Amino acid sequence: MGIVIAVISGKGGVGKTTATANLGLGVALNDKKCVVVDFDIGQRNLDMILGLENRVVYDIVQVMEGDASVKQALIKSKVNENLFFLAASQSKDKTVLESDKVQKLVTELKEDFDFVILDAPAGIESGYEHTIEFADAAIIVVNPEVSSIRDADRAIGILDSKSYKVKNGEEVAKYLIINRIDADMVQKGEMLKSEDILEILSVKLLGKVPEDKGVIDASNQGKPVILDKKSLAGQAYLRIASRLCGKKVDMKDIEVANSGFFSKLSGMFK
Amino acid sequence: MKSNQYSVKIYETRIDDEENFMSFFDTNYTLFKDHLIVIQGKLPKSIETYLNVKKLKYLHDFELPKGRSRKALESELSAEKAERAVSQQIAEAKVEELSSRLQNNLTVLDDMIRSGRELNIEGDLLLLNRVNSGATINALGNVIITKVVEGAIRCNGNFMMLTASPKANIIFHGVEVENNLLANKLNRVELKNNEIIITPVLKKEINWA
Repeated sequence: MGIVIAVISGKGGVGKTTATANLGLGVALNDKKCVVVDFDIGQRNLDMILGLENRVVYDIVQVMEGDASVKQALIKSKVNENLFFLAASQSKDKTVLESDKVQKLVTELKEDFDFVILDAPAGIESGYEHTIEFADAAIIVVNPEVSSIRDADRAIGILDSKSYKVKNGEEVAKYLIINRIDADMVQKGEMLKSEDILEILSVKLLGKVPEDKGVIDASNQGKPVILDKKSLAGQAYLRIASRLCGKKVDMKDIEVANSGFFSKLSGMFK
Repeated sequence: MKSNQYSVKIYETRIDDEENFMSFFDTNYTLFKDHLIVIQGKLPKSIETYLNVKKLKYLHDFELPKGRSRKALESELSAEKAERAVSQQIAEAKVEELSSRLQNNLTVLDDMIRSGRELNIEGDLLLLNRVNSGATINALGNVIITKVVEGAIRCNGNFMMLTASPKANIIFHGVEVENNLLANKLNRVELKNNEIIITPVLKKEINWA
């Protein structure tokens, strides 16, 4: 029996889908069987970031309506045999989701996979509520800026009141990923500090991901940045994925700019 | 407008037998000559001429504005008294309920008040956690918040004690309180002689944990 994790943010554009793709691949690299599910019905992106857009035959709505089986709809990753993908429908909209059908699908996936990672849509509408409803845990992705923090705060509030687990007296585990941290800006005090974000949201920190231009290129090419060993963001996602798999990995302080004496010196000899 | 008001004696009757009627009126003429005669039912021609000859004022088929009898008035009065007593009891119970909702009604919460949440508190509030940006608390009573407030507070009690961040929106009895007066430490805000008085509770920030 696996664990269902919803990746949420409240605000759009903070890197939810990128995080989902990289974490999915990351846990697969840790030899765990993983499926990533795009719950952003009507605006599917995850297929492109995983480089699987040309493989989509059946989507999640067709599975839930009974037009296709889960096996038929699951798409195997090109880069890792442990990773599977279930696409969102591009033609329907979020209103097609229904609680009992979502529950059936999630339970079915849970039996076959160690990790079921759901990519939630932005916003806090019905599509979001259905994504978090049957999740065992949630990963909240934020950027170090006030609007992202407030929207995430609202999303957590809804998670704490609408989740199936909470309604049955249990607690949903909540973890935080702070994405797109710019060390220079944090040092200059132009960006929110991690401690402040954790204080406001009061959830456990899962990891910090630095701003990395390579992420955009990786997404465009359909190769998640985690595959790029040199990328700082990729390394950060590897650490986070290992933590998800229960390994103890120390937090790396990425908020201190990498512009010390030695790095400058090494820069001179390049 | 000029007007006069009179009390008039009225004799109301119904005619069954014309002979009887006329003999009765003949014998009691001195009594009836100052009365207004009202005849209900049919009025035969002979009686009409009789009344005209005798110069008696009369009305035919006229509905009189009758006053209520003393008995009816008395029972009505006692019913009204009883009703008034009951409504007074209800009003007193309502006042009591309202005052008990306001006083001796403390809500203690250790929830983080996240963005989008709106708390409506009828009595006093003791909150042991943060109020995040985008959250609102409306309290009719006093408010004590031990962690920092970034959201909106509307307090109508006698006092409030809190620490506000620059983002907060604190309104005490409809007056916006400057955030920088409430920053960095626990402050007491109270209303004295229509003046809002802010005093720091402690010089330093205290650790509640």
